[in-house]
Amino acid sequence: MRLMPRSTSARLALAVTASFLFAFVLLGIGVHYAVSAMLIQDARELVKVDAAGLVEMYQDDGGAALLAELRDRIASDDDPDAVYALTAPDGRVVAGNTPVPNHRRGAHWIEFTEHSGDGDLRVVAQLLRLPDGTTLLTGTRTRSQDRFLGLMLRTALAALLVAASLGALIGWMTSRWVSRRLRHLDNTAERVGGGELDLRARLDGSDDAFDRLARRFNAMLDRIEELLGGVRHATDHIAHDLRTPLTRLRNRLEEARQREQDADAAARLDAAIGETDQLLHSFGALLRLARIEAQPPVHDEPELDLADLVRDAAELYTPIAAERGIALTTELPSPGGARVRGDADQLFQMLVNLLDNAVKYAPADTEVRLGLQRERQAIVLQIDDRGPGIPAEDRARVFDRFQRLETHRGSPGTGLGMSLVRAILHRHGGHIALLDNHPGLRVRVTLGAVED
Amino acid sequence: MRVLLVEDDPHTASFIAKGLREDGHTVDHADNGRDGLFLATTESFDAIVLDRMLPALDGLVLLQTLRGAGNRTPVLLLTALGEVDHRVEGLRAGADDYLVKPFAYAELSARLDSILRRGSAGGSEPTRLRVADLELDLLSREARRGDKRIELQPREFRLLEYLMRQAERVVTRTMLLEAVWDYHFDPQTNVIDVHISRLRQKIDQGYPRPLLHTVRGAGYRLGA
Repeated sequence: MRLMPRSTSARLALAVTASFLFAFVLLGIGVHYAVSAMLIQDARELVKVDAAGLVEMYQDDGGAALLAELRDRIASDDDPDAVYALTAPDGRVVAGNTPVPNHRRGAHWIEFTEHSGDGDLRVVAQLLRLPDGTTLLTGTRTRSQDRFLGLMLRTALAALLVAASLGALIGWMTSRWVSRRLRHLDNTAERVGGGELDLRARLDGSDDAFDRLARRFNAMLDRIEELLGGVRHATDHIAHDLRTPLTRLRNRLEEARQREQDADAAARLDAAIGETDQLLHSFGALLRLARIEAQPPVHDEPELDLADLVRDAAELYTPIAAERGIALTTELPSPGGARVRGDADQLFQMLVNLLDNAVKYAPADTEVRLGLQRERQAIVLQIDDRGPGIPAEDRARVFDRFQRLETHRGSPGTGLGMSLVRAILHRHGGHIALLDNHPGLRVRVTLGAVED
Repeated sequence: MRVLLVEDDPHTASFIAKGLREDGHTVDHADNGRDGLFLATTESFDAIVLDRMLPALDGLVLLQTLRGAGNRTPVLLLTALGEVDHRVEGLRAGADDYLVKPFAYAELSARLDSILRRGSAGGSEPTRLRVADLELDLLSREARRGDKRIELQPREFRLLEYLMRQAERVVTRTMLLEAVWDYHFDPQTNVIDVHISRLRQKIDQGYPRPLLHTVRGAGYRLGA
């Protein structure tokens, strides 16, 4: 079980409340100690005055008068808390209304507890050795002081309870208020990070620290949006202004090729056209990649059944796979069993890129398997081939732009296919893992399922 | 045919105009949106080839103005912005087809042919398509060449239907992908060619006169 809450604001509130209570308890102990000492001091003063009167009587009128006075006082009920005792040198009590406890020889002040029917009572007493060898104990029971201290303690405990409850309540409310505002900022940051670039943090106009932070945060988002807009704008212009001359070049080559009679020159022109096409293709793929990366997440996209797309992609690739002696098999769930939210064209592009790789690298007379199934809240697509696979240390690298593995250098392609797959999945909130198929490659794609 | 070309880049414009003239069309050229709109509204054209990003007046605005005024001339929109949303935007504004730069002239020519044909088709939908001795019955979903029945997969049927509707015209690979597969994507390898060669085996193999031709650097043509 967690003893500490996870949220910083709750922890802060708890720490403040605990510190406050600790200080309160410390202060309470201090006050209790000081008041108690003061009350004992007062009691001693009273005892001192009382004892001085008795000693004076002893000096003026002798031991018998003192004994009579003591017996008188004990018998009367004038002061029920006053205690007296006169002990002979041999320790015998001559007169007294309290048992004389054992004490250090020569002790001047003693404190002890009386056990009686009223409960335990504290006694503060003075011991005076009289010239005739007897010892006079004059004291007072601290009943009223103790009652006062008890009342004070109960009041303090009640105050502590109220303070603790109030502190906890105020702490909880403060923590909720702080965490609500922080959570709002946190959610905004998360959603903006996910691609909703036009989202902004709410301001409440209070101009407090949170409001100022939210304003700065929004200003930063404005700037990011402006920069991204600039990039997008530049991309559009680059697309328009750079692809045009490339197209022109290609068309001129094409024109020259149409007129060329010489077979050698025609072959060279064909190669040049092929290279220009490859260049245009890479350029197009790069622009598409940039655009997909700049698009917001697919919250507003329609629902679709991924099984339909897998079926179409498999059907598109079956002839080319068959030409290479590869059997393409699919295992699909029943209709409506793989519903996801997304852009059909982009998801189809992802399937085509993955299938193209599988068919390209699988050896002849093997099987490429496409499996689609629902696993809890996710739709899982698996593409298994029996090709050379990808070494574990290279698996992360294949998603980088223009990264082509040494073993695949000679094969056709832009080196952007997997980058595009990753960008499409990122936009759709999905994941991709490249695993070992023993032998071959297993591509595992996970997308969030649409809840029924 | 009389074609209006609205394109600001002089090189692209001269290359398109040259191609169109070689194809036998008459071409009028405007190098900005305002002149393009003036020409389109004051004269009569069979088709308009319109660039999207233009000085003086944006191509999309020009198109919306034209459609708003009730002008129904077929428009082929040219643009460097190839995203689906741009494409949808262009088609919603009233374009009949959409071509993303860079394009080969063959692609432009094939698409222009296709929209001109669509504009002149009119009338009721045929239930039977015929090219030479190849016949496609759209109701019974049956294909025949001469007196021999040809077994086709559903996708092959759609492929043949599209090629027959565009008979004698060049059809590019991209046009086939859009019309028959209905996804806008970038095919990685020669997937379309393999489908065509399968179809060719079914409709041409064993016949002295092939009907499905490959047009180098452009695409395919179904015809005698």
